[in-house]
Amino acid sequence: MMLLQSNMALGLKEQIQGISADIAWLAPEITLVITAVLLLIYDLIFKENKSVGLAAIAFVGMAFSLALLIAGWGNVDGDRTLMGGMIRLDGAAVYLKALFSIGGLIGLMMMQRSKQKEKFFRSSETLLLFFGLVLGTFLMTMSINFLMVYVAIELVSICSYVLTGLFKSKRNSEAAMKYLLFGAVASAVMIYGMSWLYGFTGTLDFTSNAFAEGISQVAVFPLSLALIMCIGGFVFKLGAFPFHIWSPDVYEASPTPIVAIFSSLPKLAALAILFRFVASLDLAVVDWQLWLGIIAIASMTVGNFSALWQKDVKRMLAYSSIAHAGFLLVGVLAFSESGATSALFYGSIYLLMNFGAFFLIQLFENKEGQTSFNSLRGMGSKVPYLGVLLLIVMISLTGLPPVAGFNAKLYIFSSLWETWQIGGSDILIWVFIFGLLNTVVSLFFYLKIPYYLFFKEKEEGLNMVSDNSIDKILGTILVLPLLLLFFKSDWLLNVLNSINFAP
Amino acid sequence: MIENLLTYIIFTPLLGALVVLFLPQSKTSSFKWVALGALGVTLVLSVLAVTSFDASVEGLTNSEDQLQLVNKAEWFSVELGSLGKFSVDYFVGVDGLNLSLLLLAAIVLFIGAISSFSIKQKQKGYFGLYLLLSTSVLGCFVALDFFLFYLFFEFMLLPMYFLIGIWGGPRREYAAIKFFLYTLVGSILILIVMIGLYNSVYDPVKTGMEAGVIENVSEASQDIISNIQLAVQSGQMESENIVKSFNMISMADDANYLPDSFLGKNSYGEIFGQSARWMAFLALLIGFAIKLPAFPFHTWLPDAHVEAPTAVSVVLAGILLKIGGYGIIRTAFSFFPDSAFHYAWLIGFFGLFSILYGAMNALAQKDLKRLIAYSSVSHMGFVLLGLAAMTVEGVTGAIYQMFSHGLISSMLFLLVGVLYDRTHDRGIENYGGLASKMPKFTILITIAFFASLGLPGFSGFIAELMVFIGAFKSSTVIGAIPYWMPVVATLGLVLGAGYYLWTLQRMFFGKFWVKDKAWRETLVDLNAREYVMLVPLVILIIWFGIYPATLLNLINNSVEGFTQLLILSVE
Repeated sequence: MMLLQSNMALGLKEQIQGISADIAWLAPEITLVITAVLLLIYDLIFKENKSVGLAAIAFVGMAFSLALLIAGWGNVDGDRTLMGGMIRLDGAAVYLKALFSIGGLIGLMMMQRSKQKEKFFRSSETLLLFFGLVLGTFLMTMSINFLMVYVAIELVSICSYVLTGLFKSKRNSEAAMKYLLFGAVASAVMIYGMSWLYGFTGTLDFTSNAFAEGISQVAVFPLSLALIMCIGGFVFKLGAFPFHIWSPDVYEASPTPIVAIFSSLPKLAALAILFRFVASLDLAVVDWQLWLGIIAIASMTVGNFSALWQKDVKRMLAYSSIAHAGFLLVGVLAFSESGATSALFYGSIYLLMNFGAFFLIQLFENKEGQTSFNSLRGMGSKVPYLGVLLLIVMISLTGLPPVAGFNAKLYIFSSLWETWQIGGSDILIWVFIFGLLNTVVSLFFYLKIPYYLFFKEKEEGLNMVSDNSIDKILGTILVLPLLLLFFKSDWLLNVLNSINFAP
Repeated sequence: MIENLLTYIIFTPLLGALVVLFLPQSKTSSFKWVALGALGVTLVLSVLAVTSFDASVEGLTNSEDQLQLVNKAEWFSVELGSLGKFSVDYFVGVDGLNLSLLLLAAIVLFIGAISSFSIKQKQKGYFGLYLLLSTSVLGCFVALDFFLFYLFFEFMLLPMYFLIGIWGGPRREYAAIKFFLYTLVGSILILIVMIGLYNSVYDPVKTGMEAGVIENVSEASQDIISNIQLAVQSGQMESENIVKSFNMISMADDANYLPDSFLGKNSYGEIFGQSARWMAFLALLIGFAIKLPAFPFHTWLPDAHVEAPTAVSVVLAGILLKIGGYGIIRTAFSFFPDSAFHYAWLIGFFGLFSILYGAMNALAQKDLKRLIAYSSVSHMGFVLLGLAAMTVEGVTGAIYQMFSHGLISSMLFLLVGVLYDRTHDRGIENYGGLASKMPKFTILITIAFFASLGLPGFSGFIAELMVFIGAFKSSTVIGAIPYWMPVVATLGLVLGAGYYLWTLQRMFFGKFWVKDKAWRETLVDLNAREYVMLVPLVILIIWFGIYPATLLNLINNSVEGFTQLLILSVE
């Protein structure tokens, strides 16, 4: 095969030796796989009361993978191309994987605190799919080869389809079906685009010189078509306009912990792929800034304006995540060292506030069984502490001081400004202006939550939420970093500055 | 003690808010005393700040040397890839431009706290939020780092939103969100410029430290700073040593703009084919004009005022509007004096239009509180007119007008609150001949009306007189605005006299009549608490009308330094 051509000279034996030597670098991923196998075995052996054991295995596995990532932090100097040119391990990939492990832990914790806890832990099926999804996002952050990209994206997608429909209600099935159909089309289009690019360049490794040389010799129109098809697949995972239509239904129908995962991990993983991919494109050959700029503006605007009319909190957060996908794209647009750093900063903050929002909403959902705005009426006076936490998260999502969402926005738009100033495409200044003005639109719907919590009077016949100290502590752990990282954002930025990003 | 005075002023209310937060719900009656105590301490400290202010210090307002009571410490500094290093400081200080407003804020917040005693429900939340609002308002006036300023500027919206939305009138929810959205549009415009500015401005002292020229901040003499600036301007400074800065004082000095920067004076950055500096100036101007508010961005104000509880109206009219005017002085005019001159005509025109449009709207109102809200729009127009004149008298008049309007409008809203507490109705046509039933109340409201319409002997007169002198002199001194603008603006005074005297006649003179019989019982004259809030304001209004030198001496040197900057940029 062409993709192994460069390695052919080494001979098969050396190749296999090289690959088996590389396996040590994939210890975190292997941990996830082993955990999944252990879950399956445990499920087969024990018949009764499995939930405690399953939960314990899942938590320990995820935490162990996080520990491996942190322990291996110092070892990643420079970047390593592993597995015969399939994946590349650099500082950014390790950072993102660590972030995803933290996200996975929070997701498991949310399942524990959910009212539907029994459904998640009664057998291993949900957890298996969950670990598959996290593994897929791990692989996505490292892939530099079209085949690997495709396999990783499909691993995430297939797990997502099943997780959406797992609880087998009518709404779940409808959402899962929609998701599957959209996803299948997006994958097909993407792999079609990839096949064109392979035809143009003769290589599947999009970071190689052969790829860059290859595409510089192709006529602009077919090249643009192929690239747009390919990027379309990434944008689908990012959940940005115009491939966003599945998300509100899926978010509304799926269990809240699963939604929290859907709206953060795959998005950030897709962002990593996009970063690596556009790095291989020469702006002089194709104006990808224009395409991504339009997608970013459209995502922010469509997401925010659609969110205005929602009556359900989870649906609103789905549209808000579409808008945030646009903001994440701003980091790709500001393609520079500072752009990568601020995109990682934004991604980290987004992950935190997203989990914060869904965790707190789940507490209200547990009591009421639904997530409409109406069910939040007057709850603020009953559980003021949780209400204030939710207010802080909403202010952070809007991007106002004194919460880290503001810093994230400030840095990402500063990078954009800089890229434009040193001679970027004119679309960038429009993204800059539209992006910031979108804050005003988003304020309106984010404030609807505190509005219902604090301004509206309690409705008769609604169960009141009661808070217990465990939920308060967990909520505080999720929200406190948002406040701290406003006042000392250099803590996180210094970490991000120390990692290298090798697209 | 004295060197950290401003820090104590800002954070005393925050401390009060924490005390309120941790006091148990059962101690309902103590919340208001905590708030009053914290703001009392703040007031005393502010007076101390004013008395310790050395009015003889001279200098251009873009020099840190003329600042007093400075507190400066590094907050955080980060390095963001190719953007380079930038640092954010905790940097507060006063000069003549903000000293009077700091004092005003402390006075009005204290009186607002007394007025808040009439709040009966959810007191814990109310006083907690009121104290948070106080911290951010006070911080906004003394912050000299743009990031810090923006933090305070934005953060005040949140407590305000809840104060209007929970304790307000029947349409409170609409008014609260409208207030928030309007001001946020302004804030976003300011944020856009802030991003552009800090990417263009460097901090010479920190750059020197980074380059190893000096060891610590205290070594930075004027010569060393000039040398560093020279090195940066000529491109000799290594780019990785340059530390970008949010310092608002540095931003007013052309020497601190990077040589090839987008918003520097000698750069030719363009946005949409227009000079980037002009666009940045306009964005700042509109951002703060929304807060001021000036026509056509004023429509949130009447709604917010009508729905807000009395004390919140007082703070809104007394202080929050002044942040708009102060912001224009401290940022838009200071950073881009050349653009200010270019747009002076436009600013003057919108000032003039606000004066007339606000006054004519006030004439048409049926609700007493709405009338006063529109009169605020009219009076804030004088601030814009005075600034557009770009003369010493004009700018002094603008600052004096902000101070004086802060006192007068607070008094007016308190008086409306007195009436509303008794009858829960503010319709002008629902009352007649109140003078016979409430003589003392009538005396005070007459004083407030006369002060507001600019009668000599009250502070409003001095302010408007100075604005007019400045505006008339403008065309000969600097040539910013034409003669006819102040001439037409005098119409605003006539209209002001019109709506106040007419209201006085309709509501207070003649035979006693009220719409609802039950009100005859409830309409009683002022009580002790109301005297405590109102009488000090009357004394202050008259004092500053008769002895304007008290304030003018304090601000004079800074205003001269400020106008000097404007004139230098035009030459």
